[in-house]
Amino acid sequence: MRGRPNLYTSYASESRLFPTRTQQLAIGIGFILLLLMPFDLPVIDQVPLIRFLGDNAWLRVVNRMLIFCIASLGLNILSGLGGQVSLGHAFFMGVGAYTAVLVGGPGSSNLWGWGLPIWIWLPASGVVAALVGILVAPAAVRVRGLYLAITTLGLVFIGLHLSRIFPEIAGPGSLGRKWPKLEVRIWKEEEPFLDFSRDGHWFWFDITDNQKTYYFLLALLIIFALWAANLARSRTGRALAAIRDQDVAAEIMGVPEVKYKTIAFAISSFYAGVAGALLASFAGQMPPEAWDLILSVEFVAILLIGGIGRISGALAGTFFVVLSPRFVEEIIEWMTEQAEGDGAFSGMWDFFISLGHGDFGFVSINETALGYPIPYSSLDEIIYGLLIVLFMLFEPLGLYGIWINIRNYWKGWPFSY
Amino acid sequence: MKHVSKLLALLLAFTVVAAACSSDEDSSSSSAPAETEAPAETEAPAEEEAPAEEEAPAEEEAPAEEESAEIIYDYGVDEDTIRVGAIADLSGAFAPLVVQIIAAQTAYWDRVNANGGIAGKQIDFWVEDNAYDVPTHLERYEEMSADDGVVFLSQSTGSPHTAAIAEALVEDGLGAIPLSWYSGWPDPEFGENVFESYTNYCYESINAVDYLANNVVEGDAKLAVLSFPGEYGQDGAAGAKIAAEALGIEVVYDGEAAVIPGADQTPVITGLVESGANLVWLTTNPTLLAELMGGAAATGFEAVWSGNSPTYNYMLLATALAPILDSSFYQSTYNLTWNAGDTPGMADMVAALQEAIPDDPVSDAYTIGWTEAMAAHQILEAAAASGDLTRAGVIAAANATTVDYMGLAPNQGYGGEINDFIVRESYIFDIQADLFTAGATIAGGGSTGSVLMNGGPYVSDVTAAHVYEGACFVAE
Repeated sequence: MRGRPNLYTSYASESRLFPTRTQQLAIGIGFILLLLMPFDLPVIDQVPLIRFLGDNAWLRVVNRMLIFCIASLGLNILSGLGGQVSLGHAFFMGVGAYTAVLVGGPGSSNLWGWGLPIWIWLPASGVVAALVGILVAPAAVRVRGLYLAITTLGLVFIGLHLSRIFPEIAGPGSLGRKWPKLEVRIWKEEEPFLDFSRDGHWFWFDITDNQKTYYFLLALLIIFALWAANLARSRTGRALAAIRDQDVAAEIMGVPEVKYKTIAFAISSFYAGVAGALLASFAGQMPPEAWDLILSVEFVAILLIGGIGRISGALAGTFFVVLSPRFVEEIIEWMTEQAEGDGAFSGMWDFFISLGHGDFGFVSINETALGYPIPYSSLDEIIYGLLIVLFMLFEPLGLYGIWINIRNYWKGWPFSY
Repeated sequence: MKHVSKLLALLLAFTVVAAACSSDEDSSSSSAPAETEAPAETEAPAEEEAPAEEEAPAEEEAPAEEESAEIIYDYGVDEDTIRVGAIADLSGAFAPLVVQIIAAQTAYWDRVNANGGIAGKQIDFWVEDNAYDVPTHLERYEEMSADDGVVFLSQSTGSPHTAAIAEALVEDGLGAIPLSWYSGWPDPEFGENVFESYTNYCYESINAVDYLANNVVEGDAKLAVLSFPGEYGQDGAAGAKIAAEALGIEVVYDGEAAVIPGADQTPVITGLVESGANLVWLTTNPTLLAELMGGAAATGFEAVWSGNSPTYNYMLLATALAPILDSSFYQSTYNLTWNAGDTPGMADMVAALQEAIPDDPVSDAYTIGWTEAMAAHQILEAAAASGDLTRAGVIAAANATTVDYMGLAPNQGYGGEINDFIVRESYIFDIQADLFTAGATIAGGGSTGSVLMNGGPYVSDVTAAHVYEGACFVAE
């Protein structure tokens, strides 16, 4: 009986996070790879994908991805688990970021800031965002679907307006202001106890600021992902899923709708707030316009591409959406080299790449081109839009759905038909 | 579950369209040049002969000498190349403008290379896109500041973006020219390795208000000040008020920070019209200029209008606003507009761009890119002449250099006491709408409709006497 897929003999075994040996093993290996990734270790450097992600310049992109992962996990709780469509995610990230700068940022005659350490400002950013989320939740009880989306859309603009009314918090105009760095202090002492924003020395290793930040964010992400996964298999998670699938039916079965929608908004906003604070602190300086509609839309796209309602879907979607522009760029650069060279296939690559005037390739390597041929800086947006359309048409479950298909194929192999 | 994702997809489509139409800040006005871009098929042959035709520009400095052996260097420079970087907004809100700025820079460096480069080394001009996003800007900076990165950044687009790398620039010993005119840049505490170009919003306001009140407005000037909230708007408004106080001009309407993008402007327009002002100073963007000027004109309001750069954009001359801009608007800038003014630098730039990008539309943005490249070029030449092309050597050279823009902009120094090197001059132009044809290309020379007044840069006595102690509108 042991080791059979989909055969559960108890509730406990059914609701385990990683039910099979294979999964436990895969997660274990994946975790070790993630831990070793930033170092140029000879074995790790052979693994495709990971090989270059650990490079210092790439690691910064990976760090931004980790922060986006936390935020998309938050939206996944609200939209994927609870079925509430929100376009206000960027607003909640902004609330978190400005709480962080108010609590942890340096104050001056024109700017408010209390200069408190990270262990206060990071949780505070989540808590304040969650409280604002609770304020918004009653709207979600009154309206649903597209109407809720329009309601939450308004939040983004309210946020922008507030940033203009309170330059003491948001900083002057489009310049923004400086955020507290990612460094741990016991209280307000000069020397930080643990500093993630500077190169340093840990144990026997030299470690760069990006590597330190990577471990800090990875640890946070694991905590948040486990929390999200646990939430999904708890009483709250089941209640939210019931509301998502049919809210009237859920209420008839005794699930208090108001309570659970409020909880969903609060937890989702908590994630967003923490992610917003981390993103702003990671960037160091942010203008208020950074928390705009496009950012909200990006998270909706992440869920759609990754697969809505799944932790792994949200993570895979973020990986894809944040990193794919960089991959496209690398590929175009490689194709350009091929097209310019004399290799056997240079003609084939030349078909895609326009090297100069009169060349018929549709991708221009010239950064300053507008229109046709397409400059490669705008190519990623086209690919991204196309993918959303294709996913909606052919794989509504997103990358997660593709993974399920692959898994099912091999499950019955060689009799998979 | 399925209906949720369907709903999300629908929303996504809707919001992307909505976001594209909503035109935040400058995007709508600055996207205009892109639409008029001439298709490339018209005539291309001019480009092929470009490298062959040596033009020997004035700033060219004996490239043939075998100096490279004596020059020391660390990052971004090797035996035969010097890598110069630009982190530019090629796909974000300001892309149409920045793309033209980068086109001018590229043309400049191509010509430097055709003429033998700097100290016999060719310039490798490396452009990366920041999409007007701060985290992306930092990622690009990480690449450019690496050991195999660049020796100098000839452009860093955006105020918050450049502020976000300001500390790292000092740590990495790397210098950058910002594409941003925040008044705080000359302040070493704020941006020690940021080498700003031209004067600031505040001084520009003082100069223009002084000039217009004394030379254009008939009778006693009654000033109205209208601006965006924030660092740009309020710095410009602060300058106008400093000028008014020093010159005894009455401020009849104070709309500092009253112009909020996207809000209803009727109260502002009503207040302006009722104040009876005859000189209006704006610190907004072209969209708001059109809205405010059009709205006031509809009530029969007449005054002399002007505003900080980039309140005005020559593409407004392609709209119905052209006659009123022609009759009552005066443009103020930090540098010369396209093909305006009779200076060697302008003749040189126009000729070079006619050779390099003849089919591109005329635009005021080219001067910005061209002068950025001139500054970077002269700094690197100075560093090479002193035999030190290390990053530190380039910074030292920059602090000892006074950039000669050959009349394209007031010369710019960086080292020493702030009040000795800060630029105080700005330019004022009369608008003549009939000089500008929408869709005109560089090949024809042409004009963007701005005619230089005063024969060159203007500096008010108030600006000349002002002691710089940081931005006029203090933010931090």
